[in-house]
Amino acid sequence: MNKRLRIAAVSFLNARPITYGLERGLGEDRFELRFALPSRCAELLATGEADLALLPTASYVAHPGELRVVPGVAVAGRGPVRTVLLVGERPWHELTSVALDGASRSSAALLKLLMRERGLSPAYEEVEHEGVLAAATGQRGALIIGDAGFEAPERYPHVYDLGREWTTLTGLPFVYALWAGRPEAVGPEEVALLRESLRAGLAHRAEIARGWAEARGIDPAVCEAYLQHNIRYQLGAEELSGAAAFIHRASVAGLLPKKALRFYDDGRAERPITTAKTAPPLPVPASAPVRPAGNGRGSVDALLADAAAGGRLDVDEAVRLYHEAPALELGAAADARRRQLHGDGVVTYIIDRNVNYTNVCVTRCKFCNFYRPPGHKEGYTLSRDELGRKLAETVDLGGVQILLQGGLNPELPLAYYEDLFRWMKASFPLAIHGLSPEEIRYIAELERLPIRTVLERLVAAGLDSVPGGGAEILDDDVRRYISPLKCSTETWLEVMRQAHALGLRTTATMVFGFGETPQQLFAHLEHLRALQDETAGFTAFICWPFQAEGTRLKLKDDTTAMRYLRVFALSRLYLDNFPNLQVSWPTMGPDVGQVALRFGGNDFGSAMIEENVVSQAGAVFKLSAQDIEHYVRTAGFTPRRRNMRYELLAV
Amino acid sequence: MTALAAIRERVRGGQPLSFEDGVALFRHPNLLEVAALANEVRERLHGDRTYFNRNFHINATNVCVASCMFCSFARLKEGDQGAYTMKLDEAWGKLQARVDAGEPVTEIHIVNGLHDGLPFDYYTDLLAGLKRIKPSIHLKAFTAVEIHYYAQHYGMTIEEVLTRLRAAGLDSLPGGGAEIFAPRVRRKICDDKCNADEWLEVHRTAHRMGLRSNCTMLYGTIETLDERVDHMLRLRALQDETGGFQTFIPLAFHPDNNALMKLPAPTGVEDLRTYAVARLLLHNIPHLKAYWVMLGIKTAQTALWFGADDLDGTVQEEKIYHMAGAETPQAFTPDEIVRTIREAGRSPVERDTLYNVIAEGAALVPDRPFRRPVRRSLEVLS
Repeated sequence: MNKRLRIAAVSFLNARPITYGLERGLGEDRFELRFALPSRCAELLATGEADLALLPTASYVAHPGELRVVPGVAVAGRGPVRTVLLVGERPWHELTSVALDGASRSSAALLKLLMRERGLSPAYEEVEHEGVLAAATGQRGALIIGDAGFEAPERYPHVYDLGREWTTLTGLPFVYALWAGRPEAVGPEEVALLRESLRAGLAHRAEIARGWAEARGIDPAVCEAYLQHNIRYQLGAEELSGAAAFIHRASVAGLLPKKALRFYDDGRAERPITTAKTAPPLPVPASAPVRPAGNGRGSVDALLADAAAGGRLDVDEAVRLYHEAPALELGAAADARRRQLHGDGVVTYIIDRNVNYTNVCVTRCKFCNFYRPPGHKEGYTLSRDELGRKLAETVDLGGVQILLQGGLNPELPLAYYEDLFRWMKASFPLAIHGLSPEEIRYIAELERLPIRTVLERLVAAGLDSVPGGGAEILDDDVRRYISPLKCSTETWLEVMRQAHALGLRTTATMVFGFGETPQQLFAHLEHLRALQDETAGFTAFICWPFQAEGTRLKLKDDTTAMRYLRVFALSRLYLDNFPNLQVSWPTMGPDVGQVALRFGGNDFGSAMIEENVVSQAGAVFKLSAQDIEHYVRTAGFTPRRRNMRYELLAV
Repeated sequence: MTALAAIRERVRGGQPLSFEDGVALFRHPNLLEVAALANEVRERLHGDRTYFNRNFHINATNVCVASCMFCSFARLKEGDQGAYTMKLDEAWGKLQARVDAGEPVTEIHIVNGLHDGLPFDYYTDLLAGLKRIKPSIHLKAFTAVEIHYYAQHYGMTIEEVLTRLRAAGLDSLPGGGAEIFAPRVRRKICDDKCNADEWLEVHRTAHRMGLRSNCTMLYGTIETLDERVDHMLRLRALQDETGGFQTFIPLAFHPDNNALMKLPAPTGVEDLRTYAVARLLLHNIPHLKAYWVMLGIKTAQTALWFGADDLDGTVQEEKIYHMAGAETPQAFTPDEIVRTIREAGRSPVERDTLYNVIAEGAALVPDRPFRRPVRRSLEVLS
């Protein structure tokens, strides 16, 4: 008979919903559960006394061996968490030391990170778990974790909620703990049971809170509010972005080693197809067959398997996969990765309108059909009347945003955009997703102002987010060839860096098929990934093949579907820190866009009302929101509308 | 063991799949796992080889006594708006023009409406005239529905019709007109057509006479997934009996300009799923064709990883699907086909109708940059 899986879990209140089902006999023939402090959970895993443990994120990273994470379940929070606090009699810049216990490595690392971000470097003193509260006197603060935090606000004049501080700093959730274990310890059925345990716990939060409160003499309402509002238990794309940002920052600060989160395969794939009237849905499938190794296939398989689990590829590895990995296996790996990030089977889309406010442009890019040079008789800048009509139509059609992009028009100063944005914001309930880095760079140049100043003034006037256009291929050799007057790789990235620093979220794009080498293509992704490590400001990545028809570039048309799907799947694998990948149906057609949902995509883009730049080079696809939902459903996903920040909207 | 794992074992063991297996494959949530298994079968049969030929279509008349709801091509009688019947000279001229231009076409695909006013000689003369112009041309002509209609209309047996057509130059039968075999569906969408048994009987007879043929399935109208599986299993049963089918061609319904306009066309994922399931169910039919005219070039290319091993041919002058709103180009040049196949990571093979290899590898047209001669594929869902 098989030995039962030995599980170690934290006994804190916030973990009880996760273990609720397990504590009540769910999967008892498979599992053996014990409780311990977070740091002890890590030890049990390290010594082999446990197979799976609820670990602080930092302990996962610091673990000497290879671990896998159970997808979809975590103790996380966005904003105030109430149970990870820095307390003291003085404000934190006056603290010369901080007492902390060894109970949670993540909280300690988070504290040190937040201190460093403020340029503070107090001494850290390890004390016994029980003695922490008493340690906060004078210029010595204390890091409090757990229930003690509920009472801290009344006892100390200065209380800092580290969850709130983290979200303020990064705009992201913080992942406090996750299930992690030996790579082979857990299969799809155990994953399903662990999720079921949480599902049951979430349904019984009030009961858990009551039991906890009674045993400790705390107010049950406080405990219940905590479980309902401060802790979130899903491990989705947002949470994973938060975890990745934490690991990256902590490693840069030398607090933790750098390590990617790798996942168990949960073997799920959303809804079964339901157009027929017979046969019940199938049980959980096994994973796809893998071709026998041979001719170096072995290491391609290993690379793919690691990337599918969440491991990080480098450029050379990605180039190798680009050349050697079979199409379906690339797709399956990207699909597994998508499932880790978006295990709910939701595919999002937005209703917005692409308004090209001017076609006058000084850059003369060879691949562009849209621009007219200054002085050309076909040049235009939209009037307020024309704009107003387009914006009103957008609102009528349920649109939530305007994607506002145009040429680099020397007639339009910064004040034009400020007036325009203020007028748009005053007149229409629409978000402004506007001005690609190229346009922002050009305005800065025209006005002889720093990029940051331009961005600040645009934000003050109403700019909500920045589209990632104009990236093409971020390689200066390629850029010099196709668009010699456009900004350099470094400038494009710098505008995005500045935008992220101001709290703007942006997207990133790639247009491929200019004759660039695979090395150049993946170097582009490397630039994006490195900046995302630094800022976590990108919401999504979108790529499409260059459409040659009618442009001045003498290149073959590079729109074949299989190349797109391969590049798309590799992008999902490479950009491990990007929460969302948008398929490009406007250029590839809705059918290939739909297939790309199975090659790593989780967003169907926009129900588009118009799109000038691409349509002038040949593509004329149009889909309504209803069409998009049909494509999403028939691919086995659940369609949901979103805004630019990928927040789901009630319809 | 999960249902898919059991199916995988049967597929690898060479056992035929059951009706339940077929339905399970259609409903299995993970498209790529089904595809991986279909691709395994495809590669076992053909490796990376992907076939195409140089062909063109003649649709000699669109006058048709049948009123199928999915059809945008047919006109009920001569004189109706858009109705046409080619003069024989006109039809022959299409081949003559290609011969004169030095185009190495190897096949003509001929499919027509069920015209009640033409003599049977029209068809035999059509074939004989084409053979006179180019004796080596392969004439793949007349669906089982047409053959069945001729037998009734001209008072002959199926065998007599086929014998006379063969004497005039008929080389093989295309697979059209099968639609969906389920009587429930046929009554609703193509009540005037021959029924499933009659369709199968024509092919049975042809196979017995040594003629090869193809077979099809029109999917995406009102049929259930069960009815698709049932359809394929009936084809498989005849193939067990005769071995005369070369290729199965799933045909996606196109909703423009016909009586079923309210239905959405099948989407890319549904198309690819149907291909993958077909490859797994029809283990005894050697080839699976991604007919680019109706799938669109992009989906057809993708289907090469979902079980398909054939892209049909250069086609030219296709009318039936284009009148139903297909916005694919009218033609696909050999250069483009070769490049499309290579870009998918497959090896192009130019074949004749009977799958004899004409050229492959370096002997095929060079892979040079290409321009589409007609307009780009649009693949719009209206």
